[in-house]
Amino acid sequence: MLVDTALLVPASARADTPSPQKTTVSQGLAGIALRGGALAVFVTVFVLFAFASPIFLTPFNLGNILAQSAISGVLAIGLTVVIIAGGGNVVSGGIDLSLAANMGLSAAVYAALSQAGQVDGVAVLAALGTGLAIGAVNALAVTWARIVPLLATLAVMNVVGGLELVLTQNTVIPAITPLLESLSGSGPFGIPALAYVLLGFALITAVVVQATPLGLRLYAVGEFPEAARASGLALKRFIAGSFLFSGLSGGIAGILSAAYLSGSTTGAGELLLPVVVTALLGQVFSRRLVPTITGTLLSALFVGVLINGFQLLNLSSTLVSGIQGLLILLVVSATTLLRPKEG
Amino acid sequence: MIQQSTQPIIHFQGIEKSFGGAKALSDVSLTVHRGTVHGLVGQNGAGKSTLIKLLAGLHRPDAGQVEIDGEAYDHLTPHLVESLGIHFIHQDRLLVPSFTVGEALFLGREPRIPGTPFLDRRQMQRRAQEVLQRYFGLSLPNSALISQLSTAEKQIVQITRALLDRPKILVFDEPTAALVKREADLLFTLIRRLRDEGITILYISHYLQEIEALCDVVTVLRNGRHVATKPIAETSAAEIAGLMVNRDIGDLFPIREKSPGAALLTVEGLSATGRYRNVGFTLYRGEVLGLTGLLGSGAKDVLRTLFGLETAEEGTVTVAEQAPWRASPVQAARRKLALVPEDRRRHGVALDLSVSENTTLASLPRFTRLGLVDRASEAAEADRLITRLQIKTAGREALLRTLSGGNQQKVAIAKWLSRHSDIYLLDEPTVGVDIAAKVEIYALIAELAEKGAGIIVLSSDLPELIGLTDRILIFFRGEIAREVVSDTITEDALLAEVTGSSEATRYVG
Ligand SMILES: Nc1ncnc2c1ncn2[C@@H]1O[C@H](COP(=O)(O)OP(=O)(O)OP(=O)(O)O)[C@@H](O)[C@H]1O
Ligand SMILES: [Mg+2]
Repeated sequence: MLVDTALLVPASARADTPSPQKTTVSQGLAGIALRGGALAVFVTVFVLFAFASPIFLTPFNLGNILAQSAISGVLAIGLTVVIIAGGGNVVSGGIDLSLAANMGLSAAVYAALSQAGQVDGVAVLAALGTGLAIGAVNALAVTWARIVPLLATLAVMNVVGGLELVLTQNTVIPAITPLLESLSGSGPFGIPALAYVLLGFALITAVVVQATPLGLRLYAVGEFPEAARASGLALKRFIAGSFLFSGLSGGIAGILSAAYLSGSTTGAGELLLPVVVTALLGQVFSRRLVPTITGTLLSALFVGVLINGFQLLNLSSTLVSGIQGLLILLVVSATTLLRPKEG
Repeated sequence: MIQQSTQPIIHFQGIEKSFGGAKALSDVSLTVHRGTVHGLVGQNGAGKSTLIKLLAGLHRPDAGQVEIDGEAYDHLTPHLVESLGIHFIHQDRLLVPSFTVGEALFLGREPRIPGTPFLDRRQMQRRAQEVLQRYFGLSLPNSALISQLSTAEKQIVQITRALLDRPKILVFDEPTAALVKREADLLFTLIRRLRDEGITILYISHYLQEIEALCDVVTVLRNGRHVATKPIAETSAAEIAGLMVNRDIGDLFPIREKSPGAALLTVEGLSATGRYRNVGFTLYRGEVLGLTGLLGSGAKDVLRTLFGLETAEEGTVTVAEQAPWRASPVQAARRKLALVPEDRRRHGVALDLSVSENTTLASLPRFTRLGLVDRASEAAEADRLITRLQIKTAGREALLRTLSGGNQQKVAIAKWLSRHSDIYLLDEPTVGVDIAAKVEIYALIAELAEKGAGIIVLSSDLPELIGLTDRILIFFRGEIAREVVSDTITEDALLAEVTGSSEATRYVG
């Protein structure tokens, strides 16, 4: 039995076992500073807005932030899974640029079917199916045609945007259904139902990603594919799966957005930047500076607060976009510098 | 030596493999018998890693097949291989940097909380602690990430990972390259015990003494061809070396006039809590100074401190007659210090640049005319180093990624040695490098010393230390326990000093 007899190890050998190398300590400290700093910025921004705008702290507005964050939050969680499985390399790593367009098309499909008199069940299935189909196209383009995700999903984004135009004729399709009504209403404690959907979705995904073997393997596949392959994992399945999942979250977000706006709208593409910011920023909230679901949830709320606060202060939306762009630069450079390297 | 069983367990038949136009393996046929330790040797780039990556299902052969346990396969996958009970310790450490030790050990076969689909993190941690302690007497904090471990610790984790599944066949690709004597000895004891339990072991190494001491049979590859397979009892290290290079190696160490000049680097009262205490020594011009010690003895920390990669809490470092300084890599480079780091894949080379760019990267100013890189002289220098160190590559424009592990090492060393510095800090300079290249590296070091540079060599290869250096500082538990003149000490005596005297004999061999 090879595992059961202990080798003869001299006492001295046991005593002076080495500790992890010291250089990484400073890296760890910088990581902690980054995380603490991010939280501090979050709190500061929150307090500043509270003072600057009398409306900010009202229950109605806070509920509004939650509801707004729900849509981009669900999308950002989908994106986070893609980034985990595809790796954090900004150029060749995992990214899904088609998510916002996906949401737009799924919402349009839902609204169009409801308007045509279909019941909720059919419309919901069709919206989710639309999201999944888009995810499947992305998955094929990346794993089978071997196009880098950045380009593959950019192309899919444009195709999906075009389909939405064809379907909606660039108009708003109104939809009022029992499901949408209950989603746009408020749940227990007067908190919007959309917020509960976000929390539920985040919770389920977080448990799968952070507490099951599947999640651990996703991280391995993204961060060090050779190591994952040597451990017997089928890389393509994980990557394809991550795109299917993000497609599905696009479908879910489509239904949420139909509820929030009482129908489909044009201009879903504008959500892309906040979603990417949210997913990237989420890394700053994790101990190892890797994307996590809980981190993404936190950053979804942070970005929601930012956008809402700026709107209340009547700052132009160009400025908001500018700030989001700046955040992307900051986060990407900080995490690239501080993340553990392949060794 | 155990009785050699006659039952074949792995049989390679007519294996061919090319990368691009270059043949890595041609018509290799080879049989490994059950319950033996089978050595695989050859120069850098001979095709050893390629052969075992084929077995691992990481490469596909262009022609030929592999028989395992009597069953023929022309296409293996990592998953299939694992289910056949074959496990690998690859030359490039395949561990996810941001994982904890427990996660890295159990990736792909994670324990679950009974009755649930959830990871049992507590069990992962407990078992990780337990097996690392049992096999190597190593205890790492549960929260330690792979990226924070030393090279040796990573290697130990990698080996332990392969042992977890009660393998039938274990394949080691240069497992001791990163280990110091003590851990290597633990590994040998372990390998012998595994062999006695009927496990078959395929063992790649550049250390022929290791092969002699450990293996029952040895196979020599040269230029992708199978040259010979012999029972170890019927051959010798000298014969094996001859088969590998097909020529006489001559003297391993250069003859060098040992006449140190003026003081070049003075270290006084260097201390850092938990790492080293009150370290002081002087390096002279034209001297090769050896540092050695067990893992955690402080020798490596001191070397890294000199280059500014770690900081000391007390003490001074003075270069020539300049004022003492707080070291940082930039400062160090300015003061003409060059470091050849141990983890060269991580710190030493850029895998996606060409051989030529890599060799001259550290000394670009030398190859720059009017702000532009002078490609012609860069190419000339690269060609010179490629020939000198016998770097096996498709050409100076080949990407470093396509070179074998040992040849990447050579490029990293060439890079730093081609830089004109006063003081060279070399951390395990010949790890993973074949004998012929070792001779050249030793000669390069001797040349640098003769030109008046001071050289500090940290090495756990004791014959290398004795042959190459003038003096050796032996570190033990954070202090310089002894200083010896290299000509006056034997390998055994040095080993006893390194391990803290008589304890050594208790577990060696
Ligand atoms: N992925 C690759 N692409 C191109 N060429 C490769 C690749 N992998 C290996 N080679 C080439 O195949 C040959 C054999 O390499 P291999 O890694 O098997 O050598 P090795 O015997 O393991 O050497 P070392 O002792 O240096 O590890 C080398 O010439 C190498 O450059
Ligand atoms: Mg190799």
